[in-house]
Amino acid sequence: MNDAHQDPGIGERNPQPPERGEDGPLVHLARGQFVAETSRPVARAALSARAVAGLWALRVFVVVVSLMVIYTFIDQLR
Amino acid sequence: MTRTPSSLPAGDINPAPLPEPPLTKEDAARSRDRARVHRARGGSRHWQLLWLLAGPGILAMLGENDGPSMIAYASDGAQYGLGFFVPLILVLFAMAFVCQEMCMRVGAVTHRGYGGLVLQRYGRIWGWFGAGDLIVTNLVTLIAEFVSIRVGLAYFGLGSGAAVALGLTLVVFTLSGKRYWRWERVVLGLALFNGLFLVAAILVKPHPGAVAASLDFVPFPGGSFNTLLLLLASTVGATVTPWMIFFQMSASADKGMTARDLRHGRYDTAAGAVLAAIFGIGALIAGAALLTHGGSGIQGFAGAGFPEALKHVAGGAAGTVFALGLIEAGAVAILTICASTAYAAGECAGVSHSFNNSPRSAAVFYAANLGVALLAAVVILIPGAPLLSIVLNANVLATVLLPVTLVFMVMLANDAGLMGQWANKPATNAVGITVIVFVGLCGAAYGIDSFLQVIHLVGP
Repeated sequence: MNDAHQDPGIGERNPQPPERGEDGPLVHLARGQFVAETSRPVARAALSARAVAGLWALRVFVVVVSLMVIYTFIDQLR
Repeated sequence: MTRTPSSLPAGDINPAPLPEPPLTKEDAARSRDRARVHRARGGSRHWQLLWLLAGPGILAMLGENDGPSMIAYASDGAQYGLGFFVPLILVLFAMAFVCQEMCMRVGAVTHRGYGGLVLQRYGRIWGWFGAGDLIVTNLVTLIAEFVSIRVGLAYFGLGSGAAVALGLTLVVFTLSGKRYWRWERVVLGLALFNGLFLVAAILVKPHPGAVAASLDFVPFPGGSFNTLLLLLASTVGATVTPWMIFFQMSASADKGMTARDLRHGRYDTAAGAVLAAIFGIGALIAGAALLTHGGSGIQGFAGAGFPEALKHVAGGAAGTVFALGLIEAGAVAILTICASTAYAAGECAGVSHSFNNSPRSAAVFYAANLGVALLAAVVILIPGAPLLSIVLNANVLATVLLPVTLVFMVMLANDAGLMGQWANKPATNAVGITVIVFVGLCGAAYGIDSFLQVIHLVGP
C-alpha cells in the first residue's frame, strides 16, 4: 500500500544504532538521530489509487460523523 | 567532543566513512541522555536501564487517565456498578497497549514524530488533516482538563481563576528546563499521583467479593441503546485518543530512543497500561460507592458534585482524595496534551520541535505548547460557557476522529521502507485493524444515533 519509490527508508539506512562504551568523549547518537538527519524529509510513499480512495472515504465519513456529534452537542445546549 | 560513525547502510560490509552531520545543542543534550543509557546497558544495570528508558509510555497512558476519563469511569460506576465495566476497561487498555506500542516502535526506529512522518510520507494534505483533528480534539479536551482542575479545587473552596493559574503555572514551569529529560521526570512525578484514585477506591471500603466478581463479564446492565453507545464511545475515548498517538511517537524520538530500546519501550508502555487500568478501575470503584445512592453526584458534577457526594457517602477523606485526584488528572493531561500539540505544530511546520531546544531556537514548539493552554484557559473563564457539555463530549469527539489517526499509524508501522525489520507482523496488524474497526463503529454508531434522535428520525 505504501511502497517507497525513492531512496531507501530510515529502517534500511539505519539498521542498528551503535552502542559504544565509555572509550572517550563520544556523541552517543545513531546517525539518524542527528537534527541534520531528522530535518531531511523522508521519501514520499506511492499509494495505490484504491488506498487513496479508501483514505478519502474514511476522511469524509469521519467529517460527516463529527458534524453530527457537533450538531447534537449544539442542540443539547438549547 | 569527538564522534563515532554511528550507522551503516544496510548490507554494506566495508563502507567509506560517512560525512559527519553538524552537531546542534539539541543533539548534545540528547547525547548526554543516551550516554547514561549506554553506561547502564554496558554495565548490565537492568533496573537503571528500565528507569532511564521509562517515560513516554507511562505518560501517554496516565495522561489519558485524565479528568473527563476519570469522571466517565466514576459515572459508569455510580450509574451501573462494576460488573460490565471492569472487564471492559481491561480490554480497552490491552487495546491501547497495542496502539501505543506501535507508536513507540515507529518513533524509536525512525527518530521522527507522527505529524512529520505522515506529512512527508503520505502528503501535506493528510498531514494537515491529522494536525487539524489533533488541534480540535486537544483544544476541547484541554478545556475539559481545566474544568477537571476547577472541579477538584472547588471542593477546597477555590474557583476558576485558581484552576487557570495552576494549569498555566505548571505548563510554564515544565517548559522552563529546556531539557526533555527534566520535563519528562517532572510530569512522571506528577502522574504517579494518579494512584490517588486507587486510594479513593480503598477509602470507600468496597466489598472484596463484589470487586472480584466484577471480573466475570456480565451484559450491559440497562439503559437505552443510545446510552450504551454513549458509554462505549466515551469509555473508548477515555482509553485511546489522537493526542496519545502523536505524543508517544514524538516523545520516543525526542527522548532519543532507538531500535535497541524497543524491549524497554514495551515494558514502559505495558507498565503505563497496567497502572492506568488499575487507577481507572479505582475511579470506577469509588464511583460505584454512589450506586446505592441513586448515582447522586452526576447531576451536580459542574458544582464539584463527585467529591462532595463521596464525602457524604464514604467520608471526608474519600472526597478529599478524589478531589486531589481530579486536580492531578487534569494537570498531567494539560502537560502531555500541550506537548502533543507542540510536537505536531513543529513537525508539520518543519521547524525545531524538541524540549531539548531553547524557546528562541524552537519558537513554534514553545508557542504552540503555551498557546493552546492559554486558549483553553480563556474558554473556562468565559461566564456561562457550557463546560459540562464540553466535558461530556470531549471523549466522544476524540473517538469519532480517532480511526483516521489509527489508520495512518498502522500504515507507518507497516511501512517496510521506514521500519525495515521492525515493521508490523501479521498478528499485530490483525489486532490493529480490529481496534480501528471497533473504535470506528463505536464513534460512528453513537454519532449517527444521536443525530437521528435530535432530528426526530428515531425515538430515544
